[in-house]
Amino acid sequence: MATRSESGFGEVSRLRGIVFKYLTFGASLVGILALGVLLAYVFWDALGLESAGTAWYLTYTVTLLAPLLGFLAYARDKPEVTAGAIELVGFTLAGGTLSFAAIIVLIVIAGPGVWVTYFLTVVAPVIGLFLYGQYEREATWVGLAMLGTLVVGPIVGTLGLGAISTVAALLGAPGVYFLSLVVPGAGLAAFLAADRFDASRRVALGVAVGLLVLAIVGVPVVDTVPIVARSVWFAVLVMLGLPVGFAVTNTARQPARRAAFALPAIAIGGFLVGEFVVGAIGATQPSPWLDWQFLTSPTSSLPADAGLYPAVIGSVFLIILVSIFTFVFGVGTAVYLEEYAPSSGLLGTVTRLINVNISNLAGVPSVVYGLLGLGIFVNINIQFGPVVYAGIGAGTVLTAAMTLSLLILPIVVISAQEAVRSVPDSLRQASYGMGATRWQTIRNVVLPRSLPGILTGTILALGRAIGETAPLIMIGAVATKYNPPSGLFDTLTAMPLQIYTWAFLPSEEFRYGVVAAGVVTLLIVLLSMNSVAILVRNKYQQETY
Amino acid sequence: MSNEGRTPDLTRDRGLQTVRESTYKYALAGCAVLSVLTTVGIIGVLFVDAAEFFASPAVTFGEFFTSTRFSPNLEPVSFGIFPLLLGTLLVTFGAALVALPIGLLTAIYLSEYASQRTRSVLKPMLEVLAGVPTVVYGYFALVYITPALNVVIGGVNGALGTQFPTLGLFNGLSASIVVGIMIIPMVSSISEDAMSSVPDSLRQAGYGLGATKFNVSLRIVVPAAISGIASSFILAISRAIGETMAVVLAAGSRPPDIPPTQSAFGLLPYVAPGDLLALYSDSAATMTVAMINIAVSDLSGGSLAYQSLFAIGLTLFVITLAMNVISDAIANRYREEYE
Repeated sequence: MATRSESGFGEVSRLRGIVFKYLTFGASLVGILALGVLLAYVFWDALGLESAGTAWYLTYTVTLLAPLLGFLAYARDKPEVTAGAIELVGFTLAGGTLSFAAIIVLIVIAGPGVWVTYFLTVVAPVIGLFLYGQYEREATWVGLAMLGTLVVGPIVGTLGLGAISTVAALLGAPGVYFLSLVVPGAGLAAFLAADRFDASRRVALGVAVGLLVLAIVGVPVVDTVPIVARSVWFAVLVMLGLPVGFAVTNTARQPARRAAFALPAIAIGGFLVGEFVVGAIGATQPSPWLDWQFLTSPTSSLPADAGLYPAVIGSVFLIILVSIFTFVFGVGTAVYLEEYAPSSGLLGTVTRLINVNISNLAGVPSVVYGLLGLGIFVNINIQFGPVVYAGIGAGTVLTAAMTLSLLILPIVVISAQEAVRSVPDSLRQASYGMGATRWQTIRNVVLPRSLPGILTGTILALGRAIGETAPLIMIGAVATKYNPPSGLFDTLTAMPLQIYTWAFLPSEEFRYGVVAAGVVTLLIVLLSMNSVAILVRNKYQQETY
Repeated sequence: MSNEGRTPDLTRDRGLQTVRESTYKYALAGCAVLSVLTTVGIIGVLFVDAAEFFASPAVTFGEFFTSTRFSPNLEPVSFGIFPLLLGTLLVTFGAALVALPIGLLTAIYLSEYASQRTRSVLKPMLEVLAGVPTVVYGYFALVYITPALNVVIGGVNGALGTQFPTLGLFNGLSASIVVGIMIIPMVSSISEDAMSSVPDSLRQAGYGLGATKFNVSLRIVVPAAISGIASSFILAISRAIGETMAVVLAAGSRPPDIPPTQSAFGLLPYVAPGDLLALYSDSAATMTVAMINIAVSDLSGGSLAYQSLFAIGLTLFVITLAMNVISDAIANRYREEYE
């Protein structure tokens, strides 16, 4: 024994190494498997799969699951087909998310009058100026004018709100959305066709006219479906139709990728065949908690009537505001710290302190941010001379959005800083060498190169914001609300808050049904947001080699 | 544009350009100031209301930390934070017991054993663990994990004749498990970064001396990356301390009872391990849970309960901030070592 431990030789144990390797491998799977099992349970409960008959499972295994697995096996070692399939699915999900957000913000919350006012005073001028800036690259004033429009536009809009919405009322809601969504959408489609797919001028014009005609021709068809309004049809056509059209065209143009079309074909075809067979043989269907009724009704004390509608609208409204705040301030801070802030001397120490401060802010518990929101937006009363600031209301949309923005801002800043830092310095030097100013370098070199990284980081941080509950409780957001928020200063409820409230109800139907459906809805929203982030990241990785 | 014949107008738009450059610079600097304002806001808000809380005649600074009863709303009110600290300690300790070994082993696997392909699959999947909203974890603990654990405990008691207590509807054990699962990626990703940045020459030297992969992983890579690993541990624990919604749903709203102390040799007071274990089977409210409960019951400014919110918040903020600063300091030292 003594000699062995002295020399150290002969102690090699193959078994110990193998056991350790599999121990580490097992450890890496523990958390993933645990979460997987829990997710399987919650999906099982939310979709009511327990009540489905064997025939239902058999049918869908044969018509949907087996072909899908077959496709996956086929696409495994064909990167082009995989890329095409990811693009098709990703753009569809992204388009779905976009149209969902557009319907909620433009149609449900803002309504045609408010939307058309701010469209005319803010959105249209900014887009116009941007396009002019792309066309006339030497116009120095364009950027400043855009900044000015963003400041002045909302004021003008608020003043002219009454007059413009009266005029808009004459046009009717569908007319407003046709002019403000479908017409610019047609322009965008024509531009994409010409720019990305090298279509001739005539084809591009045909694409634009085709979209307009499709929108109008679709109206009588849509009118036969009672739950889809004309305005919703226009929004979906532009927000979902354009991304899907883009992905389909892009895939169809590359012969190596065309096999990817098998995926949507299998999914849709398998589902339809499955539906038909199940109906024909009369198999017992599952009775899901997560259904159309759940998504369109407010909460209720009866499990069968309970729904998530006000919470879904509240969450989406919240996340759109948070994304605007954090994107502007997060990118601004990151660009300032990386490109402008002095890095040496006394001011350099200040810069370093700010950086340390930001990384520490990212570690502050979310419930403390709730206290911050409570202290500076809700229970406050300060007088600056004649102006009294008494907060912006307990549990209002604006309070919630600003609190959550402060919460995720450090995460957004850190990821944006990394993205800005990863732009090679040689590119900056080249730009300066050609006589560009600092801002021109940032705008034309740094931001375009770092934008994908910034977007990925921002979307992932937004995923955190949409699941946060504690800050919302701290700022006094109400748990039970029967209608969606109607504006910035109305109170709101959000998906995680509703889940929290429901989870304490003792009824089995709530605990294993309604709450499960709420959890699955929240997870699906998160999943579609993250798939957009993955899509952006993939595109970025393709472009950097 | 062919403008060879033209003399470039070097003075073009100079004034406007200067205005533009400085406008953008100051606008961006304004954005950066927001982060400083956030910090000032947090500290200011916490200190102002906490100061009012301690200034009130009903509470004293000493009582806040030593009193063993926390009941902000029931008369007679008492604001002893000690039971809440105990609850936080219980949940954090349990979570650390789950997350630290699993996270460390995961990091070793990812950095030393996994192939490129396995890593590219496992890493995003691990990130998902941290991406699931915490309220969802709380729901899982309440609805699926606690009943499952009770089945297991019943089985063990039946088979071995042991006397483990069955878990209450709300309990510290299920809270510890879900919080542990959610901080695994924090341990594994930071530790893996630290292990990956250990220079390959150290590993090669180990192999050259005849060490096995097992020896190299445990005796060379882990010690070399120990500061990064320690920093990841501290960060994960700090995250567990601040965790709110999962604990609210899983651990319930009642702080743990202070276990009876026994004394060894008539001198040293200690708590029997069995009594400590029993605490996990019952409700174990933490500092964060107490804050949520106060917020749900009473948010009108000025009341003592409202102000106690900020005193607890300040305690929480100071603890997590201190841990983050320590973790940062350790990580910085390690970064210098291999550069």
